[in-house]
Order: sequence, then structure tokens, then C-alpha cells
Amino acid sequence: MAERAVERIGGDNLIIENLHYSYGGKLSIFEGLNLDVRPGEFLAVIGPSGCGKTTLLNLLSGFYSPERGSVRLRGKPIAPEDPNLGYVFQAATLFPWLSAIENVEFGLRMSGMPPKERRERAQRYFDLVGLSGFENYLVLRLSGGMQQRVSLARCLAMEPTLLLMDEPFGALDAITRESMNDELLRIWDELGQTVLFITHDIDEAVYLSDRIVVFSRPPGGIYKVVKNELPRPRSGPTTRTADLFWKYKKELIADIAMVTAQRPTDEAELAELKLSTEIERKAEKQASRDTEN
Amino acid sequence: MSVAAKDAVPKQRRFKLPEYSWSWLSIPSLLVAWMLIATQFPSYILPQVWDVAHEGYIWIADGELFPHIWASFLEEVGGFGAAIIVSMVAGFLAGFFKGFREYMVPLNGLFMAIPPIAWAPLMLIIFGIGYTTIVIVIFISAVNPMILTIMEGVLQIQGQEVRAARVLGAKRWQLFLYVYLPASLPFVTAALRIGFSQAWRALVAAEMIGATQGVGWMVQMGGEIGNARQVLLGIVLIGLFSYLFERLFFRQIEKRYEVWRLA
Ligand SMILES: Nc1ncnc2c1ncn2[C@@H]1O[C@H](COP(=O)(O)OP(=O)(O)OP(=O)(O)O)[C@@H](O)[C@H]1O
Ligand SMILES: [Mg+2]
Repeated sequence: MAERAVERIGGDNLIIENLHYSYGGKLSIFEGLNLDVRPGEFLAVIGPSGCGKTTLLNLLSGFYSPERGSVRLRGKPIAPEDPNLGYVFQAATLFPWLSAIENVEFGLRMSGMPPKERRERAQRYFDLVGLSGFENYLVLRLSGGMQQRVSLARCLAMEPTLLLMDEPFGALDAITRESMNDELLRIWDELGQTVLFITHDIDEAVYLSDRIVVFSRPPGGIYKVVKNELPRPRSGPTTRTADLFWKYKKELIADIAMVTAQRPTDEAELAELKLSTEIERKAEKQASRDTEN
Repeated sequence: MSVAAKDAVPKQRRFKLPEYSWSWLSIPSLLVAWMLIATQFPSYILPQVWDVAHEGYIWIADGELFPHIWASFLEEVGGFGAAIIVSMVAGFLAGFFKGFREYMVPLNGLFMAIPPIAWAPLMLIIFGIGYTTIVIVIFISAVNPMILTIMEGVLQIQGQEVRAARVLGAKRWQLFLYVYLPASLPFVTAALRIGFSQAWRALVAAEMIGATQGVGWMVQMGGEIGNARQVLLGIVLIGLFSYLFERLFFRQIEKRYEVWRLA
């Protein structure tokens, strides 16, 4: 199979430095986020809904530009078209006019790979995500979970070295999800990509990762980083019943409860605050003018 | 529970049958109505179906029918063809570039507010009776709604699909060829369909004013010389071509994407 990604990307970290981002200058999401990701590391990100996880991936993939600070791989920002980059979106975004297998072939076709070779490669990843037999289905005729798997295969077929995954298994049932987790670990073990894996599921985060980053509500950024010492290779029955697994799980449940309980920034209140300071400032100005006169 | 399920199956079947079967009745019923009404009038005012069929036979036997159809066909090809090319270019540009869109949309609105046949006298003054005049009238009537339809379509193409293609390494021209073009196929077909029917209407109207041949001219001339059979023959032909084009052409294109759009 392909040469291990670690060797391809060399020893360079993915470096997130002093990252600032807000939507339209109003809704501030990140105010100085710092994070280094080792090549070949499997990093899980969890946090309450709306804390900026998807925003982070958009910044990493170059769809958004940081307001301040930077995201760098080998010293350079990443562009969406970068062949090293793979991105599985939160919602499966397949091309409805193509069949399932043609969707998986899409990226290879764009890079000019000959038809026979790209079909073989696509087929390999298609089988890998457990979809054999559905090659010629129109994607809209597949179930939500199957669509998500096509989307995963489409990304993996490009054999990227940096894999951004936004809740890729969120639409799957628990059983399929666990088997997909094992598949993902197997692929990762073989190819050694750097993975940023976003999930709502604590079990999944603990089972897969080398490190777990817990996000707090915006503009909080990182609440905590947990180093995951669970031994590899991991396997369902052993890993999921290990004491360490439970220890992490308990710890993370407490953390999530903590960040979720943090008072959400009440925008109305904030606006009021701004307004009142505005009035105060005006009043002050007026007062100073009055004294001048 | 199982009883209800058993009941549900035949019910569904009973409902499905009529959907398929009633459309065969529409044309024959129209013909029957025509025949019944025609019995109340003398033949030179409202001729019978078979009178018109006979008229058609005479035109064919004389070898006169085909040149008229051919003339109308060439005008449609010229005007509609030019409208396709211009509306594809302008529609996509308007979809992609905000500035061009802002410039273009008021013009479309203005032209669509004017019935295309109103241009015919002016074109007659400039170009005289014949092909050019009619083609221009057809073009004006078809191109504006087509541009708007294609533009709306391009605007609707989801940003998500484009993002996905970019991550998969698609360059700008590949985005156009492999994402925008297939994704816009439903809108382009809708535009073609709208444009064709607009063009065909304008053609018939324009031929009645500024032509010496064509199916519109047949109707007009029939009226002038008081030949009701010729008028009706012309009307039947106008309807027939429109119907055939719809069946043979647009249905075929639509079938290609119907599956993925309605799935
Ligand atoms: N395009 C946008 N314009 C304005 N605000 C946005 C936009 N996208 C996201 N937001 C806001 O930014 C915040 C973070 O959104 P983001 O999608 O990054 O959250 P998330 O952590 O991925 O949430 P989830 O787990 O529900 O997917 C949210 O409050 C959201 O309302
Ligand atoms: Mg998200």
C-alpha cells in the first residue's frame, strides 16, 4: 500500500499559534488558541455544540483565514486544494449526480489518475468502509450512515497525510460506529496520517486518540488536554473494559459537564453592556465638554 | 397490526392504476368534442376533423407542406440556438459574478416586460420581411427568461459541494466542468424548455406579421383567404411540433437527472 504518511510529511508538526477568529467581528470564537499536533498523532476534539470545532477545521483547511495568528504545516498555511489534506465534513456532501463508487473516484479523477487504476483504488476503500455491493447506487438512495461512509471512503482514497474529520460517524448506529472505529484505527496504523477527529462521543474519543482536547464555550478555546495512555493496538473488548478507559471516561464526563454548565455568553446582556458603556462614554464626553465651556 | 398491513397493500395497488391510464383519453376527447361542435356549423366556418386531415393530405401531396415546416424549423433553430449560446454564457457569468448580475437583471426585467412581438414592426423596418426579422424576435423572447433561469440555478448550487470538490483537489476549471455543470443540468433543462416554448410562440406570432412562409404564415394566410381548414391545419401543426419536441427532446434530457434529483 501507500508509503506511510509520517515518512512523507517528515517530522514537522501542525502548528496552531495564537489563533484568533470571529464571525463578522462580532461573535468571537477563538482568542489566542495554541496547539501543536505531532505528525502521525491521533488527536480527538470534544466540546459542547457551538464551541467552534467546525470553525477550527475550516481554519485548518484554509477555507477561513485567521484574523490573527497562524496555522502552519511545514511552515506554510494549508490551502483547501492541498493534496496532503483530507477533510470529512460534518454532513456528507456527496455529488448526487454520480454513483457511490464514482464519488469515491472523484478526487483521483481530478488528479488525472487513469480510469482503471483509480477504479481499483476506489474499490479498495469502498470495500474498506463496508459498502461492497452498493457501488452503482445513486448516493441519494443510500441511507444517511452509508452516505457518510461513502464520504469517508472518498476522502481516504486520496491518501492524505493530514486528516480532518468532523463527527464522521455521528450518523451511524453504535455497532457500525464501533466497527468503523476499528477500521479507522487499522487504516491509520497502516498509513500513519495525522488525524484531527471531532466527536461528541466520549467513548469514541478515548478509544481512538493519543490526546483529547476539550473545548469550552466560545470564546474559551481549549479547556483541557488529556494525554491518552491507553496501550495500542487497541481492540474493542480489551480496551473498552480497561480501568484506564473508565478513568478517562469519568474524567471527561466531569469536564464536559463543567464546560457545558459554564454560562453561555448571553448576547442580549452583552449588547446591553456595550450600550450602557456607550451611553456612559457619551455622558462623559458631554460632561467634559460642559466643564470646558 | 398484521391485518392492517395486509389491507394496505391492495389499497395501494388500486390507487396506482388510474395514474397510468387516463392520459390516453385527453386527445381523443378533444377530437370528439371538435367533431360534435363541428356538426353544428357549415364546413367553411368550422370544418370537420377529416376535412382538416384531407387539407393536410393535399398540402403534402402538392409538396407544399414541407417547405413551410422547414422554414419555421430553420427560424427556430437560428433564434433559439443563438439564445441558448448567449443565455448559457450570460447566465453562468451572472451566477458567478455579482457585479455582472447586478448589471444584467434589470435589463432582463425590462425586456421581459415588453411582449416580444412588439419588436416585430421595428425589425421589419430595419431588416424587412424574412428570416432575420423573425430570428431576432425569437431570440429576444427566449433569451431573457433563459438567462434568469440559469442564473438562479447557478446561485442555488450548494457551496458544500464546491467545498468538497476543492478539498478533493479540483482546480477552477475542473470545478466548472465537474461540479457546476452537472449540478446545473436541471436548471439548464428548465431554461431550455422555457426558452423553446417562448421561442415557438414568438415564431408563430412573428410569422403572422413578417413572413412569406412558415406555419404561422399558413394560419395567417388561411384566415385572410377565408380557408378555415388551412387555419386549423396550421394550428394542429403548431401544437404537434411543440408536443413532439417536448417528448423527444426535453423528456430525454430530464430522464438523465430525474433519478438523482428526485431520489
Ligand atoms: N457561517 C457562520 N456565520 C456566523 N456564525 C457562525 C457561522 N458558522 C458557525 N457560526 C457560529 O459559530 C459558533 C461555532 O460554530 P461551529 O460550527 O464551529 O460549532 P461546532 O463546535 O462545530 O458545533 P457542533 O458540535 O454543533 O457542530 C456557533 O455559535 C455558530 O452559531
Ligand atoms: Mg460542527
